[in-house]
Amino acid sequence: MTLLRHEDRRLITGSGKFTADWNLEGQIHASIVRSDRAHAEIMSIDIEVARSVAGVVAVYTAADVTASGFSPIPAGPDIVGAHGEVIIKNAMPLLAIDRVRFVGQAVAMVVAISEDIAHDAAELVEVDYRELAPIASTEQALTQNAEQLHINASSNLSLVYESGDSKKVEQAFATADRTTTLTMESQRLCGAPLEPRAALVDYNATTDVTTVYTPTQGLLGMRAALAGITGLQASDIEIVTEDVGGSFGLRGGPGSEHGLLVLAAQQLKRPVKWVARRSELFIGEWHGRALTLTGSVALDKDDQITALRFDDTVDLGAYNCYFGGFIGTNNLSVTMGGAYQIPALYMQSTLVYTNKVPVTAYRGAGRPDIAFAIERLIDQAAAEHQLDAVEFRKKNLISKEAFPYMTANGTEYDCGDFSAVLDKALDLANYSSFSERRKAASLQRKIRGIGVGYYVEKSGAGGAPKDQVSCKFSGDGTLTLFAVTGPSGQGHETSFAQIVGEGLGISVSQISYQAGDAKQQLIGNGTGGSRSLYGVGSAFKLLIAAVIEKAKPYAAVALSVDVDDIAFDGGRFHDRSATNSIHLNELVSQVAGEEEHPFNVTAETTTGANYPNGCHVAECELDPDTGVVEIVAYAAVDDLGNVINPELVRGQVHGGVVQGAGQAFTEAVVYDDQAQLLSGSFLDYAMPRAGLVQSMVTDTHAVPTALNELGSKGVGESGCSGSLPALSNAMMDILRQLGAGPMDMPYTPYRVWQHLQDNKA
Amino acid sequence: MTNVAFTVNGDSVQIDVEDRTLLVDALRDKLQLTGTHVGCDTSQCGCCTIRLNSQAVKSCTVLAVQAQGAEITTIEGVADDDQLHPVQAAFSACHGLQCGYCTPGMIMATIELLSTNPHPTDQEIREGLSGNLCRCTGYLNIESAVRAAQTEMAASHRNEGLISTGQKS
Repeated sequence: MTLLRHEDRRLITGSGKFTADWNLEGQIHASIVRSDRAHAEIMSIDIEVARSVAGVVAVYTAADVTASGFSPIPAGPDIVGAHGEVIIKNAMPLLAIDRVRFVGQAVAMVVAISEDIAHDAAELVEVDYRELAPIASTEQALTQNAEQLHINASSNLSLVYESGDSKKVEQAFATADRTTTLTMESQRLCGAPLEPRAALVDYNATTDVTTVYTPTQGLLGMRAALAGITGLQASDIEIVTEDVGGSFGLRGGPGSEHGLLVLAAQQLKRPVKWVARRSELFIGEWHGRALTLTGSVALDKDDQITALRFDDTVDLGAYNCYFGGFIGTNNLSVTMGGAYQIPALYMQSTLVYTNKVPVTAYRGAGRPDIAFAIERLIDQAAAEHQLDAVEFRKKNLISKEAFPYMTANGTEYDCGDFSAVLDKALDLANYSSFSERRKAASLQRKIRGIGVGYYVEKSGAGGAPKDQVSCKFSGDGTLTLFAVTGPSGQGHETSFAQIVGEGLGISVSQISYQAGDAKQQLIGNGTGGSRSLYGVGSAFKLLIAAVIEKAKPYAAVALSVDVDDIAFDGGRFHDRSATNSIHLNELVSQVAGEEEHPFNVTAETTTGANYPNGCHVAECELDPDTGVVEIVAYAAVDDLGNVINPELVRGQVHGGVVQGAGQAFTEAVVYDDQAQLLSGSFLDYAMPRAGLVQSMVTDTHAVPTALNELGSKGVGESGCSGSLPALSNAMMDILRQLGAGPMDMPYTPYRVWQHLQDNKA
Repeated sequence: MTNVAFTVNGDSVQIDVEDRTLLVDALRDKLQLTGTHVGCDTSQCGCCTIRLNSQAVKSCTVLAVQAQGAEITTIEGVADDDQLHPVQAAFSACHGLQCGYCTPGMIMATIELLSTNPHPTDQEIREGLSGNLCRCTGYLNIESAVRAAQTEMAASHRNEGLISTGQKS
């Protein structure tokens, strides 16, 4: 068996290097004291007992952070609301100042000579709280006389956002032949990458450089945000990230702990290490999703959709952190019309504070949620108005000829062939013979349902102005590629090497990839928005041409011909007559000397967003006696543009689909009515396990985009954008057969069984 | 502090540990065997799975002092120098890993599964992996890896059988 990826050998032999694996001479350890109250005033914090414990080096509270001049966690972009107002932002302080606003908020930090002593002493920090009324839901937050979480946010509102044309939509609804309205929850989730959040910070007083070992999605984002928090120059911060145990959107920037560790390392002049325990991540790491979406669709007498409207409520949690505000606004609105030609679109979303963990990006960050909502609404409308759900879709899909297609709220989809993708998916799923499988299931006393989900999502354009890459040749024939985008399982080392290896006609085994070497001084985007392959990969595609151009004069000398007569093909430079040739490898070693290799070049490109889309078809079976639902068949056809590495792409689809299946069937962050977290461990928060999805057939239908050099579209987030609606629609199909109305995720046996009892036909 | 002696990957070791020290922490912190990972604190994720006296255990459920006299294999001891164990090779070949954080535990659980049940059914594979979480792969390629390793190991057992039969005659 041959190894599939460059990164695999170290990871299967236990020699990968994750953050907790780093240790530095003289390091000391931090433990975070977290609030056990959802909403309370801090009357006093007594740190004396903790500080007196043998081995404790220091105890920090908000006063120390304030004295240091450190800033809070970045609160995200200035999003503009429905009436031109800018989002109200409340940034989370590194340690709670005067008031705690969610269970898990960091209140103090203990630093000690061992991890055990730090944790023991943290238990001895006495916080005296005066409890305030907790806000445990968005409904409660918006009621009159609700306790106000932040002084600047009356009614607990951060923003009311809108997109599209409300008048046009109103008119369409007024004249509609039929309408359908549905409210759906995309429940709060924990991203839960398996490597816990961790950091090790080392301050070098001689060079004034602060080195931070930590998992990231990209070094520049982490460095810039940490510079913002600490006031340090970005150039005085070095981020070291080797292996990253999953990110899913949670690792774009620092948490409180990163800032606190910098403070401690600078003041104590010793390396400080902190590795989260899983139980504190359920309350201390960002949550995702937490959206309530109410969709309405208007149809004319020919079953054409004439308007679509969404009214959404976004549970931000207690503070605005990073992308939290972006999810319920831009990311919901940008593809709100889905795959359909709808002349009038309007959405409004209300961003609300609650006493819960702040929300930020989690795989898809609003895009799976809106795909789920549109597709459930389509099925609901079909069911209410006795339409065939597939025919109804076909009638309203944006036709191939309509591209580039401008949606009614101003998003331009550059290309696609939605009908072809839909047909291919139906074929792959054997959709036409479903009724036989339903019949067979009924003989086993099982109720079998089928669900179709068509998603269109916007892959990220990225926040950086461009993606730069560079390369370094060595005389021994090895080639190192550089960019800033940091992998966390996607296989950057393999796919970038593949692109460059194919282009230069050299073996991928010679090529390695390194993310974020500071000496290269590159700029670019981190991993996020499914964009690394097409963004950074496109820059590597350009780098190939740059290397060839740089090498041509040397090849001309080596072959004693005019440079204009040099051509390059399959790794070899040759003259026009093709009688003489030299391989790039040979030329590289010939030219190598003491100086920097002349073939070392940089390349850069700017890639806009693109629109991966696909159709997923799921079949599920319910045992009506127990409420247990099994996913019994799954087919996915995705238009990801040109596919560079089919195995890696399939892996991304599998992983995304199962994360969606996790949301659909197992996962939920649960708070009680006092905003106390009930799902605080893997015992209570049900992660998908082997067997949740037992088989999957996948295929692609490439409509290459012209918006980047590779013609590729994003894939990282597409899986859950397809699986949330497909699985949910299969579930609703089952419920309809039993005469029960719709229900919200997760479709756990208990919830399904209870729903059936409550809604007996 | 208590002195504990055991064998890890064939080497005899002696370390001083606190009574409360978990075996996983002793392996990682005292012996620098950082291939064994910690992904939770409730023995749910399986990232810390090792083999202890030829049985897979989650090393976060064992105190270091309980390992007195034990024979331990960690992920670092699975390959025979540069020769990968068939389970390791199969995980890569079948793309059964992405970020790689759960992988050492998955590989140890798979070795356990195939050593106790060389021909597991699909359902038995899922049960064999039920103590291990993966957030990246969706498990399907991990299941393929288990099947590929099973085929590879069965073939090599057959070959060994043929060789030994040949020697007898």
